[in-house]
Amino acid sequence: MTPHDDGAPVPVTATHLARMLQFGDSMFPIGGFSFSGGLESAIQKGVVTDVASLREFTRTAVEQAARGDGIAIVCAHRAALAGDVGELLRIDSRVHARKLSGETRAMSTKMGRKFTELGAHVTSAATMQDWRARVLSGATPGCYPVALAIHFAAQGLSARDAFVVHQYGVAATILGAALRLMRISHVDTQSLLFQLNADVDTPYATAAHATLDDMAGFAPLADILAAVHVKAHVRLFMN
Amino acid sequence: MSALAEFAPYGDEPPQMRSGAIGKSGLLRLGFERRDGRTILAELGSRTPCLAQRALHCDDALPDMAWLFMITTSGCVLQGDRLALDVSLGAGARAHVTTQSATKIHSMDANFAMQTQSFTVGEGAYLEFLPDPLIPHRQARFASDTRITIDPSASMLCSEIVQPGRRHHHPDECFGVTLLSLATTAVRPGGAPLFSEKLLIEPLRNPMRQAGVMDGFDVFGNVILCTPRDNADRVLAQIDAEVDREQGVAFGACRLPNDAGLIYKVLGRETAQVKAKVRQFWEVARREITDAAIPPPFFWR
Repeated sequence: MTPHDDGAPVPVTATHLARMLQFGDSMFPIGGFSFSGGLESAIQKGVVTDVASLREFTRTAVEQAARGDGIAIVCAHRAALAGDVGELLRIDSRVHARKLSGETRAMSTKMGRKFTELGAHVTSAATMQDWRARVLSGATPGCYPVALAIHFAAQGLSARDAFVVHQYGVAATILGAALRLMRISHVDTQSLLFQLNADVDTPYATAAHATLDDMAGFAPLADILAAVHVKAHVRLFMN
Repeated sequence: MSALAEFAPYGDEPPQMRSGAIGKSGLLRLGFERRDGRTILAELGSRTPCLAQRALHCDDALPDMAWLFMITTSGCVLQGDRLALDVSLGAGARAHVTTQSATKIHSMDANFAMQTQSFTVGEGAYLEFLPDPLIPHRQARFASDTRITIDPSASMLCSEIVQPGRRHHHPDECFGVTLLSLATTAVRPGGAPLFSEKLLIEPLRNPMRQAGVMDGFDVFGNVILCTPRDNADRVLAQIDAEVDREQGVAFGACRLPNDAGLIYKVLGRETAQVKAKVRQFWEVARREITDAAIPPPFFWR
């Protein structure tokens, strides 16, 4: 293992790499497939119509994640390594307080809870057991970015790994939904995923030096699409 | 100050008057109280360039409500300006606070401008804070930090409309702003967090025209309604959500976390469209909260 610049080890052993692949995989059953990240409404309302607009829409989601939840992941990973549960609870509350639509809150807490339960069961890591007890008792909302960070810290994976897995997941969720919602091929979605991950280092470097107060964003049309989705009569996805 | 990390590159002092100098450090302190069945302006403090004269009781539907027009003797926001607004409503008070005209934020080549807004809304009180739009000129850098402390029985409606600039004045003035940071945090009187939002608009870093951001729209409206759950339910039931690309307008409301109320976002091609939608929301919110109608629109607004 070599120390990474945030003090955490990077996955240089084959086992670490395998762990990262497992817990970052879209097959890891935390329910990501039931969410479209607003794409369902975006297609219904003609905001996304083709590969080019899908690329833009997904890019917006990925950028918003890097400037918001991505910062929370880095902060929560730091707190988890330090064993600072009070700080983890504060971060979780802050993440929850900035999810301003019911559907984005539901997505974060449902995926967070599933990830916490599954992670605690599969790994038996003490910090995950502790976090699971707090989430299940309703003491904390249990948002996904915080669960991911605690789990990665427990597995000896770095904040950067957690950040990358999260960014990748945001794009993969929307592109996976796109396959079921619009006329698009696997070749297209894989090309988009490849393009969108062309530079994860820059947003990570920004997030790594940020504080919770820096969590910000600006995607008003995506926010409106979340409101449209709640009012829609026909829905395939949970957001 | 970590909350302003995004303004760290703009610490240089203006060659004119230094930041926060006399005349650039405005303050308006408004304390509303309910006395003898109507709301009065019990406390008024001001420092140049901010000014207020007196509360008016000009609302036919809510004759007890105090209307207050905030005045600025500056006419615009300039680099190095530090403005503070502090509004409090005692138990049962009802007030409407607004501006006389749009807030123009001028171009900057040094430093930045900042406003802090603090709202304390007491038991059963009702505040409408509906200022005119913000017009950030090209190369403006502006921070707005809003803190709300609201009693669980109180209601507050506040809106913010942001224009892309003076679109028809200069080709660089559609989203020509360098940095616009609009933060709002709300808590209960004991400090329990309700919600927080920080909108960071940096068109050179994050393109405005992107799908999901401003797309083909030019004007952005953000309306926050803090109100008890049953009011929020009734308002939400009457508020539609739509993206109408032909008319050039998009809008929709969502439930805020921790049962804080609703947030309503509007996009339009023109300011008038956004104002009309905000007015519609205001109409529903005021009816559901106070059982009163809103006044007819002013001729010049």
